[in-house]
Amino acid sequence: MSFWSNVLGPRRTFEGGCFLPDQKAATARRPIEMVAADGPLHIPLQAARGLATIAEIAVGEHVLGGQRLARPAEPDSLPVHAPTSGTITALTRVWAPLDGYLPGAVLEPDGKNQHLGPTPTWESESFVFQLARHGVMCGAPRRPAHRVIQDAVAAGVTELIVNAVETEPYLSADLRTLVEEPGRLIDTICDVADALGAHRAMIALPFRHRRVVKRIEAEATGRHIEVAPLSERYPQCQPTVLVKTLLDREVPVGESVLDVGVLVLPLATIRAAAGALLEGRPVIETVVTVAGDAVDHAGNYRVPIGTPMRRLAERAGLLKPVALAVVGGPLTGVAIGREEAVVTTDTTALLLFSAAEQPKPVPCIHCGWCIEDCPVGLDPSSLIHVEAERTCDEMTLAQLRVCVDCGLCSHVCPAQLPLSASIKRARLRLLRQAEEAVTAGS
Amino acid sequence: MKQEHWIVVEDWPARPAPHRSSGNTLQDILHAWLLAAGIVAICGTVLFGTAAIVTMVLAVAAAVSSDLVFSLVTRRPVIGGLSHAALTGLLLGLTLPATVYWYVPIIGSAVAIVFGKGLFGGLGHYIWQPALVGRVLVQFLFPQQLSLFIALTQSPILAPGHLLVGDIRQARAIDMGTYQGWSGSRTPPLSEAWLMERPVQTLRRFAEGEIKADGDLVYEPLLRDSLPPWRDTVFGLVPGGIGETCTLAVIVAGLYLIYRGYLRWQVPVAMLGSAALAAAILPVEMARGAGGYDWLPVLTVEQGRALGLAYVLYHLTAGQLMLGAFLLAGDMIASPMRVRGQAIFAAAVGVLTIFMRLYGILEGECYWAILIMNSFVAMIDRRTKRAVLGMAM
Repeated sequence: MSFWSNVLGPRRTFEGGCFLPDQKAATARRPIEMVAADGPLHIPLQAARGLATIAEIAVGEHVLGGQRLARPAEPDSLPVHAPTSGTITALTRVWAPLDGYLPGAVLEPDGKNQHLGPTPTWESESFVFQLARHGVMCGAPRRPAHRVIQDAVAAGVTELIVNAVETEPYLSADLRTLVEEPGRLIDTICDVADALGAHRAMIALPFRHRRVVKRIEAEATGRHIEVAPLSERYPQCQPTVLVKTLLDREVPVGESVLDVGVLVLPLATIRAAAGALLEGRPVIETVVTVAGDAVDHAGNYRVPIGTPMRRLAERAGLLKPVALAVVGGPLTGVAIGREEAVVTTDTTALLLFSAAEQPKPVPCIHCGWCIEDCPVGLDPSSLIHVEAERTCDEMTLAQLRVCVDCGLCSHVCPAQLPLSASIKRARLRLLRQAEEAVTAGS
Repeated sequence: MKQEHWIVVEDWPARPAPHRSSGNTLQDILHAWLLAAGIVAICGTVLFGTAAIVTMVLAVAAAVSSDLVFSLVTRRPVIGGLSHAALTGLLLGLTLPATVYWYVPIIGSAVAIVFGKGLFGGLGHYIWQPALVGRVLVQFLFPQQLSLFIALTQSPILAPGHLLVGDIRQARAIDMGTYQGWSGSRTPPLSEAWLMERPVQTLRRFAEGEIKADGDLVYEPLLRDSLPPWRDTVFGLVPGGIGETCTLAVIVAGLYLIYRGYLRWQVPVAMLGSAALAAAILPVEMARGAGGYDWLPVLTVEQGRALGLAYVLYHLTAGQLMLGAFLLAGDMIASPMRVRGQAIFAAAVGVLTIFMRLYGILEGECYWAILIMNSFVAMIDRRTKRAVLGMAM
C-alpha cells in the first residue's frame, strides 16, 4: 500500500451502496476465544438439507474427537465428525437455523477431549477428495466445497476471488481470522487456485484495516495472489458486486459468477479448508461472532459444531432479555425461529438484540435513497407492487432476478417499506410459476 | 441468566431480513425540515416583527386544521402525521410578506392542503409542491393584499431600534438616493419601519431599462442609487417575504438539512450555480443611448470597478432564490428521485427563475419556476434511470 493509496483510499469501488455504521469496535480487537464443549452437543448429522448421510454410531457408543459420526450416502454429500470425545446419548433431530429440523445425535462430552490423530494424507489423494473427506462446507453457495470446486473447474473458471470484506455491521470473524492466521490462509488460497487452474487469485480485504492489509501483503509477497483492499461500502461483500468491482464483469441475468469465469469463495471456507488440507483435521468447529446490544462480552468464539445457541449466548453473557436472535449479518441474516437452534458448519455470526424493530410502513415519499443505494441499479420502490400482482412482464422478472438480496433498500427506507422482502417473495413466486409453466408445456 | 425461554419473542413466524433499519424515519425527516424552516422563521420574526409571527401562526394553524378536516371528511388516515401539514403551512408563511391581511395565509394554507396535497391522495403522491401551489393562488387572488400599501412597488422593513417588537405598519417611505444602508441611516421620527422597493423589483425594472442611465454609466445608478447595500441583502435587512430575505439564515438552515442527509447538496449548488450563470449571461435592456440589449452583464466594468459581479450577486441574494434553493426545491416528493435528476431539475429552476425575473411579468418567479419544473419530474426520472447490472440497456 503506497503513500498515495493510503491517502486517497481504495481505487476500485462500485456505484451505489452506502457506508453503514460498523459496530465492530467491540469484537474486532479481541482475539478469538475457545468455547469448551461443557454440555451436551446436538450435532446435526447432515451438513445441510439434502446432503444425505448414513449414521455410523449407536446410542451409548463412546466416540473420540474427530471420529466420523456419519458417512455420506452419495458422492455429493459430506461426512460429519465428532467435535470432542464423549458418549452418544440419543439419536434425535436437531434444529439448524438455516435448514430446520435435521437428523442429529446428542453427544455428552466426557471432559477429556481426546482426539484421533490427524488422518493420514497420501500424496495420491486428490484435492477435492481431501475436502470431501474432511467435511468442508462452503458458505456462500451453500454446497459442499468439493462440489463448488468441481463445478468451477467444469465451468472453466480463470479467476479466484477470496471474499474477506465483511461489510455488514457487527461481523468480524473474517477479520480476526486474517489477523490470527494469515500464513495458513495464504497457503490454502494458493492451493485452491492451483487446484482450480486459475491464472489469477485475489483476496479482497477491507481497506479500512490497513495494518491487516499490510500484513496480508507481506504474507502474499512472492506468491501469485493479488491483494485487493476495497472500501467498506455495503454491499461490497456480495459476489456479484465483487466481480463488478474487481474485474468489471457483469453477471448476466439469472446466471452465477461462475458463468463469467470467476469463483468467489468466502474466507470461512478457506479457513475450514486450511485445517483439512494442511493438518488433515476434519471440520469440527467454526468461528462465530457473537454481538449485539444484548451481549455482555461481544467477541469471536471458536465453537464446536452442535453447541446450542443458547449455551453460546450464555457463554458470552446476556445483559438484557433477547427479543431477536439473528444468525448471520443484521442485513442478510436469518432470525432464529426456535430456541433449540444449534451452531452448524456454516454459522458465521449470532447477533442478539434486546429489541426487535417493528416497522410501520407509510406510502413511498420518493426520497430516492433506495435507488441511489442499490448496488445493482434497480428501482426497488417500483418493484414493490409486483408482489401483489399475479404475473409480470419479462423486463420486471429480469429485474427481480438481478436483485442480490442485500437488504439495503429496506434498511435505508424512511417510509419503512418492506422493499427487499417483497422483491424476494415476488421473485421466488414468479420463478416457481415460470418453472411450472415450462413443465406444464413440455 | 437461567430462564425458561432465552429469546423473548412475541411472534414466532420468520422475520424477513434486514433486521436493523437505518433509523431515519419519515417523521425524523419532517421534523428536521420543520426545524430548518423554524430557523428561517425566527430570523423572519426578528426582521419583520410580531406581524410575521401572526402570519406564520395563522398559516400553520390553517394548514393543520384543514388537514384534519380533510382527513375527517374523506375518512383517510392523515398520512405522515400533522408534521407535514405544519411544514407546508410554515413554508407557505415564509413566502408571504408579514403585512398581508389575516385571511391570506389561511386561504393559502387551505388551498395548499386541499388542492395541493389532499386531492392527489395525500402525502407521497402530489406533483406540485403544495406550499407553492397555495402561494401562487394567493398571488392571483390578492395581488393588492400582498403588499398592503397603496404604492404597490414598495414594501416595509423594520428600522434599527425597532427589531422584533416594532409595528411594521407604521412605515414611511425613504429616499433610496440618500439611503446609506440599514445600519447607516437614521430612523425617521414617528415611524418604526421604512418603505422601500424590494430588491427583486428593482432588478426587474433595471432589466426593462427603466432605471435612468447616468451619462455613460448604466450599472452605477442601479447599484448605488436604487439598491440597498449588498450586506443588507445578506442579513435580510430588505423588504420581502418573511423568509425570503435573510440569506444567511436560509443558508444555515439548508446546511443543517444537508448535514442531516435530508437535502442533497447538489440541489442548492446546481440551482444557485445555474442562476448565477444565467444572470451573468442573459441580456438586459439598456437604458443608454439607443437602447438595445446588453449581453454578458457579468463582464461590465464601469469606472474601473467590476460591477457585473456585484450585479450577479444581487440576483442571488435579492430574495426568493435562496429560499427556493435550500428549502423549497429539495422537497422529496415533488423533485426527481436520483441525484442526477435533482441536479438537472435544480439547474433548470435556477435558469427559469432568472429568465422570468428578467423578461417575465409574473411575481414570485422562483416559485413559478419550481412549479413548472415539478411538472417535468416524471420525465426527468424516466431519462435518468440507472443501468441495471447485467442487463444491457
